Amino acid sequence: METNRQSKGSGNGVKLALAWGFVGIPLVWGIVQTLVNAIKAFQ
Amino acid sequence: MAGSFLHRERTIAPPGYSRWLIPPAALCVHLCIGQAYAFSVFNLPMTKLIGITQSGPGDWKLTELGWIFSLAIFFLGASAAVFGRWVEEGGPRRAMFTAALCWAGGFLVSAIGVYLHQLWIIYLGYGVIGGTGLGIGYISPVSTLIRWFPDRPGMATGMAIMGFGGGAFIAAPLSVWLMARFSTSTHVGVAETFIVMGLIYLCFMMVGAAIVRVPPPGWAPANYTAPAQPKPLVTTQNVFVYDALKTPQFWLIWWILCLNVTAGIGVLGQASAMSQEMFRGQITAVAASGLVGLFSLFNMLGRFFWSSTSDYIGRKNTYFVFFALGTVLYALVPYAGAIHSVALFVLCYAVIFSMYGGGFATVPAYLRDMFGTRYVGAIHGLLLTAWSMAGIFGPVLVNYIREYNVTHGVAPAQAYNVTMYVMAGLLVIGFICNFFVRSVHERFHMRVVEAEAEVEAAPVFGSQ
Repeated sequence: METNRQSKGSGNGVKLALAWGFVGIPLVWGIVQTLVNAIKAFQ
Repeated sequence: MAGSFLHRERTIAPPGYSRWLIPPAALCVHLCIGQAYAFSVFNLPMTKLIGITQSGPGDWKLTELGWIFSLAIFFLGASAAVFGRWVEEGGPRRAMFTAALCWAGGFLVSAIGVYLHQLWIIYLGYGVIGGTGLGIGYISPVSTLIRWFPDRPGMATGMAIMGFGGGAFIAAPLSVWLMARFSTSTHVGVAETFIVMGLIYLCFMMVGAAIVRVPPPGWAPANYTAPAQPKPLVTTQNVFVYDALKTPQFWLIWWILCLNVTAGIGVLGQASAMSQEMFRGQITAVAASGLVGLFSLFNMLGRFFWSSTSDYIGRKNTYFVFFALGTVLYALVPYAGAIHSVALFVLCYAVIFSMYGGGFATVPAYLRDMFGTRYVGAIHGLLLTAWSMAGIFGPVLVNYIREYNVTHGVAPAQAYNVTMYVMAGLLVIGFICNFFVRSVHERFHMRVVEAEAEVEAAPVFGSQ
């Protein structure tokens, strides 16, 4: 029972990491690009 | 086969499903449709499709191209209003799937329009079909998020709507990069860019549709107990979507959103020109474009910050902050210009744009507090007509006032002052509207019999 719960928990952890990475990486990339351009603009 | 995959019953979460998978599912959709804010990067290249290096005879004009975005925003509001109930009753997966087809289809049809150099096909593709995808996609995850996060509905919807603000950060550099890859000395690569972006968005949004789940009946978060005493201005009842239109609360919130957006959208499009004219010699055109990027970042972050804050201080108080602080900040902008303080100008604008985004992100939770969770997505869809209206009023108001001032001899640097005071005035009216928001009268609440009949017609899950 405990092992089943643990495997469910770790399975959810992987899914969460994949799902948040899937949306988070492009978003962070876009924000970094914008900030780089903004900094260039002020130089 | 596809029909059963989309069916609401197929989206009921299995035991052990983490509710934290729902925000990324919603972000898959909102990050894609948020591209709309970056559509302007295509405007200039699309004026050179024939002339290549500069506009040639037969090339489209910027004024003609401007209608593409306006049409898309109009159809966003219209489709959200028309399809709101369909979205609510069919479940989030069917809505996200449909939004993905419309949004990606809009890009592909527009690519044909560019290839054939027929502007009406782009109006139809991006404006009508894509705009419909925008509206359906925008409201598709709202009620699902609210049901999964009864303890923090503001934060949950704020995360999704933050994605709409953030979509432009991905789309703008991606579009520029793709156009550079596909362009040659004899060809501007807009059509190819539309095709690639359409396919990327289709895949991305389908992932969201595959992940999304609705909570099973009676589900509640661990360690969460619904408040024994209903909080003031937070109902435990539900109001039918079309009955909401009969309540003064709906129209007060409609005006609250419309005024907040009118004030923000009016200066959003003018931020670059305004900063250069108010601070001539201090802010160059390049620096102004950097500032606009920075303001967009505050627009995005404000969506998450203010909607999350509203879970603690209440929706009504959050809007009081928007309108009171906004009035002060709009009135301060001319002063910042007068004392030549770029820092004060940037600070005022950063907070103004954070509250502009916050207004969008907090409104679904405000509607949930007033009308319950049952039809909140559909009611939110109806409310988005306020956005369409503001999208027309805001820029027209700012442009008209500026033009009037300049033709009457006001220096360009001071031409925006009246605009800012008018915007501050709009926020005062918004403050008054917010003041009059009270709980919805119980005669509008769905009776138990009605609610049960609705449940039989279209099952609802996760009533808290």
